[in-house]
Amino acid sequence: MISKFSLSRDYKKSTEATKISLAHQEKAKSQIASSSAIEVHELTRCFGSFVAVNRINFSIRSGEVVAFLGPNGAGKTTTIKMLTGLLRPTSGQAFILGFDVEKNLPQIKNFIGYMSQRFSLYPLLTAAENIEFFGGIVGLRRQKIKEKIEELAAIISSDYLNQPTQTLPPGIRQEVALFAALLHDPPIIFLDEPTSGVSPERRRHFWMKIYDLKCQGKTLLVSTHNLDEAEYADRIIIIHQGKIRFQGELASLYEQEKVTSLENFFKQMVSEPKNGSNNSSY
Amino acid sequence: MRFLFLFRKEWREIFRQKEMVALLFIAPLIQTIILGYVVRTDVTNLPVGIINLSQSIESQRLINRLASSPLFKIKFIASKPVDAEEIFRQGKSKALIIFREREKRASEEFSFSLPEVQVLLDGSDANSAMIAAGYFYGLFGHYITTLLHREDKDVPFQPKTIIRFNPSLNSLHTMGPAIVALLLTIITILLTGIGLVREKEQQTLDTLLVSKLTPIEIFLGKTLPMAAVGLIEMTLGIMVVITIFDVTPRGNLAYLYLAAVAFLFSILSIGFLISLISQSQQQALFFCWFTMLLFLMLSGLLTPLENIPPALRWLTVINPLRYLIAIIREIFLKGNGLAYFWQDILIMAGLGLVAFLFSLRVFRRFVIK
Repeated sequence: MISKFSLSRDYKKSTEATKISLAHQEKAKSQIASSSAIEVHELTRCFGSFVAVNRINFSIRSGEVVAFLGPNGAGKTTTIKMLTGLLRPTSGQAFILGFDVEKNLPQIKNFIGYMSQRFSLYPLLTAAENIEFFGGIVGLRRQKIKEKIEELAAIISSDYLNQPTQTLPPGIRQEVALFAALLHDPPIIFLDEPTSGVSPERRRHFWMKIYDLKCQGKTLLVSTHNLDEAEYADRIIIIHQGKIRFQGELASLYEQEKVTSLENFFKQMVSEPKNGSNNSSY
Repeated sequence: MRFLFLFRKEWREIFRQKEMVALLFIAPLIQTIILGYVVRTDVTNLPVGIINLSQSIESQRLINRLASSPLFKIKFIASKPVDAEEIFRQGKSKALIIFREREKRASEEFSFSLPEVQVLLDGSDANSAMIAAGYFYGLFGHYITTLLHREDKDVPFQPKTIIRFNPSLNSLHTMGPAIVALLLTIITILLTGIGLVREKEQQTLDTLLVSKLTPIEIFLGKTLPMAAVGLIEMTLGIMVVITIFDVTPRGNLAYLYLAAVAFLFSILSIGFLISLISQSQQQALFFCWFTMLLFLMLSGLLTPLENIPPALRWLTVINPLRYLIAIIREIFLKGNGLAYFWQDILIMAGLGLVAFLFSLRVFRRFVIK
């Protein structure tokens, strides 16, 4: 990811995000392997009588970047938590690189990187200390950890490196959290609302990083409720009230659902009669 | 060895919070000192009122004795009857001693006139009333003995009491070391109790769980720093007891550290368990306080274990604090060695093992929901 950093700077110079997106899709298509990285069959999760995720099915190919869209409370986080082994499914199955998540959790931990909603860093520790800790618990050697800290210093300024992360600007925190989630170089990366609470400029910059990762052949599932981010992804999955409403390329959504914009589709979706008291907004 | 990174992280987090360092190392010292002097069962300066309706020399002598004792503080001496009930209600004094003229009986062989003595006690504080009653019996008993000697008469029956280990019955000697055990409990259970919950609240727990750390590694990384803090804390407490309370341990303190390790295993496992089942730091604090109070009440620190009704006494068996307090007193006062309390150490370690295994089970069941 870091070696491609200069590349992402070049992208940043470009103003048209969609242009970059298309260019990248072309470039990446050759790299996409046909094997599927993530497979989800009839995955369901209930909390008491509330069905948070309702028999969802999808499959993500290796090297794909998928935006996981939905209003707040739609079931995005619950799905990601089931895929990372943090929640047990009520029924259904999930496979990561062919391994059943429930049965092969220890192996799966080698393949997945996860960044939670609140850029979970230790607020009292400095950025460097956070990297030392996260590197240590994924089993990196001390020398490797040292190298990683130097790598991070090149990305964020070294002034930030030795500040407690609670004092860092949100954008830098996000950068450090992503760096921490990727320390063990996992092929599959789950990012749960990584762009919430950061500026639009930062968001765009963040998606450049996601492209870098894609170029390295990594598979990413990125949840968000910012609709404009759908344009950056290879494919989108829209979830609402625990059910998948659409999956495919953005262009085919317009064709299939006969809508002119994603926003209109969402408006239409959330105004449908609700199941239970799910008071969602986006 | 991955847990060492967790250890180091915990350690850094503790020492990065200045308030936390003060709370951990300064507050307990102040508490030990205050508690040592406050939590005392011996009664001193008991407010006493005297109603002297007798004109005898002996009543005057007895009053002088009472006045010279540090155990009592004479509030007033009246020569007329007073409303004793009202004096107790107002709390002016906790004991009233009434001297009356005594009717002479034919059988009496003394050359002097003895007054009749009545002692009234305020029982609303049962404990100190009981102790005061004991003091009065002792004081009057001793006085009678000296009287008999003066008259060249033999005392028909007198038990000889010898008190070992703490001859002056100084409660500082029994309470001081025990308070160190109490402090060790409070600090370590609270620290581990909120440890994992804080990670839940700041959402870092998910990252730990997605990492390759095993539940045992998380347990070790989370509890060992607290054990280290606990042992430092205990050392400071012992220093206070030795230097400020002037209690010299008669036994080998190394055994105390051995016992403390077994104790910490049990208490940290319980703290870890609390942290696992709590959803917020608030909840964890509540659980910790509840557990600590239960342990304290059933520890033998405040009331002798023998006073606890048999139906509840079995609860003390599963209270690790009970064993640590017994051991700390044995080492400090009796100078006992391992031969006297190795079973207690094993029981604490056994309780620790049960709590530890149970917490691992809870971890696997409830953390990944």
